[in-house]
Amino acid sequence: MREITIVPLQEFEVPLEAENIRPDIFATLSLEEIRDLEVWEGNRRRYLSDLFSVAGNDGTGECLIRLDGDFSRVKRIGEGMREGEILVRGNIGMRAGSGMRGGSINIEGDAGDWLGREMRGGSISVKGNAGNYVGSRYWGERCGMRGGEIEIEGSAGAYLGDHICGGQIKVKGDAGDFPGASNRGGAITIGGDAHLPGAEMVSGTIVVKGRARVLPSYGFQETAEIEGQLLWKFVGDLVEKGKGELYVALVEDDGQLDK
Amino acid sequence: MIIKGGIVYDPTNGIFGEEMDIFLEKGKVVEEAKGKEIDARGLLVMPGGVDAHAHVAGTKVNTGRIMRPEDARSGLEPKTKLLRPCTGYTVPNCYAIGYRYARMGYTTVFEAATPIIESRHTHEELEEIPIVDKGALTLFGSNWEVLECVRDDDLDKLAAYVAWGLRASRGYGVKVVNPGGGEAWGFGTNVKGLDDPVPNFDTTPREIIRGLVKANEMLNLPHSVHLHTNNLGKPGNYTTVLDTMDTVKDITSTRDRQVLHVTHMQFSSYGGTGWRDFESEAPQIAEYFNRNDHVTMDMGQMIFGNATTMTADGPLEYNNARLLHAKWSNHDIELEDSSGVVPLVYGRKMPVNAIQWAIGLELALLTESPWKTLLTTDHPNGGPFVNYPEVITLLMSKAKREEEMATLHELVAKRTVLPTIERELDWGDIAVMTRAAPAKVLGLAEKGHLGVGADADVTVYDLRPEKIDPARDHKRVKEALGRVKYTIKGGEVVVRDGEIVAVPRGRTYWVDASVPEKDAERVQVDLVEKFEKYYSIQKSNYMVQDAYVTDPVVVKAGVI
Repeated sequence: MREITIVPLQEFEVPLEAENIRPDIFATLSLEEIRDLEVWEGNRRRYLSDLFSVAGNDGTGECLIRLDGDFSRVKRIGEGMREGEILVRGNIGMRAGSGMRGGSINIEGDAGDWLGREMRGGSISVKGNAGNYVGSRYWGERCGMRGGEIEIEGSAGAYLGDHICGGQIKVKGDAGDFPGASNRGGAITIGGDAHLPGAEMVSGTIVVKGRARVLPSYGFQETAEIEGQLLWKFVGDLVEKGKGELYVALVEDDGQLDK
Repeated sequence: MIIKGGIVYDPTNGIFGEEMDIFLEKGKVVEEAKGKEIDARGLLVMPGGVDAHAHVAGTKVNTGRIMRPEDARSGLEPKTKLLRPCTGYTVPNCYAIGYRYARMGYTTVFEAATPIIESRHTHEELEEIPIVDKGALTLFGSNWEVLECVRDDDLDKLAAYVAWGLRASRGYGVKVVNPGGGEAWGFGTNVKGLDDPVPNFDTTPREIIRGLVKANEMLNLPHSVHLHTNNLGKPGNYTTVLDTMDTVKDITSTRDRQVLHVTHMQFSSYGGTGWRDFESEAPQIAEYFNRNDHVTMDMGQMIFGNATTMTADGPLEYNNARLLHAKWSNHDIELEDSSGVVPLVYGRKMPVNAIQWAIGLELALLTESPWKTLLTTDHPNGGPFVNYPEVITLLMSKAKREEEMATLHELVAKRTVLPTIERELDWGDIAVMTRAAPAKVLGLAEKGHLGVGADADVTVYDLRPEKIDPARDHKRVKEALGRVKYTIKGGEVVVRDGEIVAVPRGRTYWVDASVPEKDAERVQVDLVEKFEKYYSIQKSNYMVQDAYVTDPVVVKAGVI
């Protein structure tokens, strides 16, 4: 596979929009053409080579992009990608892999907000933590993630998998507030704790292997064993006549929950 | 300015496809003029388009924008040296509305519904819509003062209140939405027919419609009453519409126009007893129009894809939201009406949507006279106005209709007669439906035609009507209708080759109607009491000031 390595030439003060850093765009371009791709630094139009060093194999073909350095202020990397691979040795900014349909993004550091927003296929893995709205929708849309996989070794922020309609999200650590809100068919697994999972869930599953406060609009069904762990199984969200399944290891109880 | 050698369609003046020059001077069409020449040799030339019904400004449009951040992801156009940035498809921002109309060759747009109390906001948005001339129709159908006047059968006072309401809202005409229903919705109910009493007011929708139509004619207003019928959007509602049109048949119009305009008829031409046996009754409606001359309608054509329904018909939007499990905004407008906003998606494979799509086209194709059927999509209820080129090509090409029908749910062939309709409209019909008729229906004497004295609003399409067959080359026609060669507004070229080249400010029409002083005084006595007791604001803060209408065209009317 053809490899291209991109290294920032400086620390960025102003956020960049770099939706052109995308393996399937690179695949059809020569190295020189890649250097001439457009990037926005705030409201200024730049070339990729103004801000980054771009090195690697010339010629065309399926592409592995290595991002070496701090990309935490670089937004929209891999947006809408269909194939190829991005390997990030460092942190990555907002909206990485949003709307992606195929290929993979592997991040060794942390990811920003909106990781894999509305993605439909492919896979994303994060060694560190991820921000808010992982696999979610843009405001107002009916569906967030519809397919593909996101795996996060660390923790995720609030609104994990908001309006998720399909696909899988696995978080080894904790998730923030309202994971899986309005879930309509996605599968979310949280290794640690979460707060009020599955609000307005209609279908799909959410597994919380740590502590979680469960909404009063969930009905307790039974205990269930998942991967050797005994969990409480709830069904809801009854506010939406939902049939989503919510599994929680330790239910935070304020005395009102009837179980 | 001279527009040279165009193939001109100007139905008002009996011109259908004649090669002629058009002379413009000081914003008007004149007999003879000198100056810049525009080469339109062999190209299709029409008066600037007039849209008589679209929801383009006001609180409900803004509510749509607020509810639909996702809509602003489409239609993005960055700012240029000349243009402001644009966003949105179903609920575009103000600038986009003006630019997009101009690019289609439209130069006049009327906002279809504004409650008096929200009119300041409506005008603030109208002020920001560039290029096109505009006006707003004021809502009266569930207004307490109206209901009381109708109940007391006091037409003089009703006319005086309508005149005051138009002045207070800087409005152009009388809009009536689901008469009585807006008030009933305040109590969680609706009126279910023309003779269903309005809660707490001893009156009925039939009396409200008749009262307002009579008052409208007493005031000699340029436009007739503009009605969104009772039971709109419900299966089997066509009988309500036929009854409604019959109930005003005996009232004579005081002007050379209809006595009632029934708007977005597509939503009122439904048969069946429920959604399962839902079917088109458009042929019945069209037949009524072929036999009667006292009413006009606009299509309210449905467009597949995203739409944002917004209306003063509060209970209708409640039903929509429940049926579709969609986002819903519900609004009570004090003493004046209710309203709601619900975004939805019309699907090709949804039987009801496919039939709705066919109904709009049936109405336009089965009604013999194009003067009675204006072309609208009830933007953004049936679909966004940018789809007018699509609607025009559907009307002009049976081949296109067949192509489209092949992609729809098969019930469209069983529950409508569209597949059997051979008629293909010509450029003359289209010029009537998009220019001449809307101007006539609205009572805009200087719009929609190219006779001497008309406003210098002209569209030049990049189409050679003598060489192109719209029935066959519908793709090419649609493209050219969406990106005109020239739009000339008030004698100034605003669009050249599909690009905006100038952004003048449009003017706003409103009607100042005079009434006898004694009636005006009686209305004031009522209003003082209503503002003291019920309104959330002071009467002194209620009226839209002139500062909110910076380029007004004040049309005088009044009790003769």
